[in-house]
Amino acid sequence: MMLTAILSGLSETPEFSSFSSSISSLPSALSSSLSYPLEQVEKVLPADIQISVDIIKIFLVLIILTAAFITVRRDLISMINIYSIQSFLIVIVSLAIYYSEKHPTLIYIALITLVSKVIAVPFIIKRVSKDLKIKRDVEFHYLTPTSTIFVSILILFFMYGAFSDLGLEPVHPLSRIFTLAATLSISLVFMGMIIIFTRKQTITDVIGYLTMENGVVLFSLFVAELPMVIEVMILLDLVMLILLLVLLGFGIDSSIEEFHAKLDPFRKLLGKEGEEQE
Amino acid sequence: MMLLIYVLIGLAALAFIIMSRSYKLMNFFSLLHSGSYMVLGLYILSFKQLPIYYTSKNYFFMDNFGLYQATIASLIFFLASLYLDGYIWSLIRLKELNPKNIKLFYAAMNLLLIATILAFFSNNLAVFWIALESTTLFAAVLIVILNAKENIEAALNYLFVASPAMLFSFIGLILLYSATQASLKGTLDWNVLIESTKNTAASSLSSLPGPSSAYLLSPKLLSAAFIFIFIGFASKSGIVPFHAWLPSAYAKAPSPVSVVLSAVVSSISIYGIIRVFSLLVHSPAVNSISWFLIVFGVITIAVASFNMVRKTNVKRIIAFSSIEHMGIILVGIGIATRASIYWTIFYMLVHSLIKALLFFSAGVINSQYGSNDINSIKDLIKLQPLASLGLIIGSIAIIGMPPFALFLPKLMIFIEASKFSLGLFFIIIMLVLVAICAFGMFMTQLFSSVSESNAQEKIERYIMPVEMKLPIIILVVLILVLGLVIPQEIQQVLNNIVGELGL
Repeated sequence: MMLTAILSGLSETPEFSSFSSSISSLPSALSSSLSYPLEQVEKVLPADIQISVDIIKIFLVLIILTAAFITVRRDLISMINIYSIQSFLIVIVSLAIYYSEKHPTLIYIALITLVSKVIAVPFIIKRVSKDLKIKRDVEFHYLTPTSTIFVSILILFFMYGAFSDLGLEPVHPLSRIFTLAATLSISLVFMGMIIIFTRKQTITDVIGYLTMENGVVLFSLFVAELPMVIEVMILLDLVMLILLLVLLGFGIDSSIEEFHAKLDPFRKLLGKEGEEQE
Repeated sequence: MMLLIYVLIGLAALAFIIMSRSYKLMNFFSLLHSGSYMVLGLYILSFKQLPIYYTSKNYFFMDNFGLYQATIASLIFFLASLYLDGYIWSLIRLKELNPKNIKLFYAAMNLLLIATILAFFSNNLAVFWIALESTTLFAAVLIVILNAKENIEAALNYLFVASPAMLFSFIGLILLYSATQASLKGTLDWNVLIESTKNTAASSLSSLPGPSSAYLLSPKLLSAAFIFIFIGFASKSGIVPFHAWLPSAYAKAPSPVSVVLSAVVSSISIYGIIRVFSLLVHSPAVNSISWFLIVFGVITIAVASFNMVRKTNVKRIIAFSSIEHMGIILVGIGIATRASIYWTIFYMLVHSLIKALLFFSAGVINSQYGSNDINSIKDLIKLQPLASLGLIIGSIAIIGMPPFALFLPKLMIFIEASKFSLGLFFIIIMLVLVAICAFGMFMTQLFSSVSESNAQEKIERYIMPVEMKLPIIILVVLILVLGLVIPQEIQQVLNNIVGELGL
């Protein structure tokens, strides 16, 4: 439902309307082009696992779609909302994998993701951006939004080529979509990197970093036996994020005058304390 | 047991620092912290049977390589804390540091030491990743601690290059894990991985050259994993496409922090690269990965050398020299012979010592002139003889002149390079010559700027406290001694390390 809302919001700005249609045709194009070699090795699976595999496929494509939206949006609030949706889709994927794998780590990851990335982080970023009085990130470096989408598609195809060449051996039932998952999640990482490269505001860079991190988490879901490490990674990255936001709050995006104004009380205090210690 | 002692000492030091009120006390505890690590490291290296494993799942272990690096790191931290005792006061005097932040500064410094030690002792590569990522965090705090917008910018730059790149490393680790799923049931324990590669090497030697299925891990997947892992680790040590953060971070951070960053933090990631590369040495992928490393190394040396020409900031030129040396180390790893790895590991030790000396001396310049720019520096030899001595000896040593310690390892790496490929040898020599010229030109400029005799304003002399003199003297002596003799013990440890790495 929110997706359609975003879609309608997207078509409000005239220059986006031309490719919003091309984006919406992206998932079907992807699923048709990416999944066909995998179906060759497909064997008969229990029906419930088959369903979870199908669900996972659909949601993987939806996640890439959200990343595509983030790369082109200029409105900060909607970027954060889409990020929140993206994290929620990851929660659903990890639960779907849990349904067929029954690995408890997946539940923990789903929980951490739900609490931190769907609820807490978007909330904090919204607060910070309100403090910083930033609503829009209009400028793009190096790439225009249209070419960003184009580059993302190229990355998808390149990653697919690279990963189907690697010959990842299937070990458990889900490995049949391992190549698809690896392709899409690492493309997600690269799309996050594109956001960092193309955006000027630091706060949008933060969202890019978060998108990259989502890609890594998504990838690691498919190798779920990694013990405990993924949770620690998520937590560590959240601490990193808090540091980033604290730095932001201290005024990298505010003007230099404001910054000096913030610094001035410090200076006075410093002078006084310095004399005292002498 | 020993690891527990390490961690307990660290936590105790941290607790005392948080409780203590004056910076003298905090400094004392940091000194105690790093000093005890140094003693412990030397003790274990000389008296214990290595390697020792810890925790039920072998997440941590101590082997010669880890202990060697950890002991160097604690030595550097010890000297940095000693220096900080005097330097922090000059930072407060210059109003660069808010006195309120002193506690945070010391806490971050000690946390960085703990994270470093844990990184060197991790057996599981994912645990290593976590420790490395936390060093990014604490290092960023240490960079941002000064009151200046440039520091925030430098720290943000660092975070935005290093953490995304580290995410690529994590992808690499996942790939490595899935590469081992078929044969080893999925593991990231370094000792298990290296054993399996050693076994394959042994079996392929004994029997006739068989098909590639004799190798447990698929070479393609292994090299893909290595390339992803390399991106993150390389960004942490400033290998060229990922070096953008490094010069400003080293130049803006307070000098003891620059020392720690260049001498310790960049070593951790090189250590990681060597560890992961050693898994590839016996696989058929080694040739392409060797060239991969060498190409990156040469590009790094080239970019750094040409950037060093006509720099005007003392710390910035030392930072670029740091990048250049990372390039040489990378070439040394890429050559991948027993001798090249041996000398590369020794090179890392000497490079850490010399970089520490240079940044310590540069810190004195900052305290004297309140700036690191060459235009504001006059009468350096007259005003600060000891710092000048440190800078002169440091620059002679860093370009690899005898009788100082860098001469021999640099020469040996070049000889190994010439055996590997003569073209490579000539390219490196040319590039290194550019760097040497740039460094020499800068230093002559630095020391030849003298104020006119009838200058109106006289610069007030900054009196160096003993705590700042000591590290410089210790380092000068160490560099000279290591240049004259390499003690038997160090050679023994280096030999053990090369053996552990399976070369």
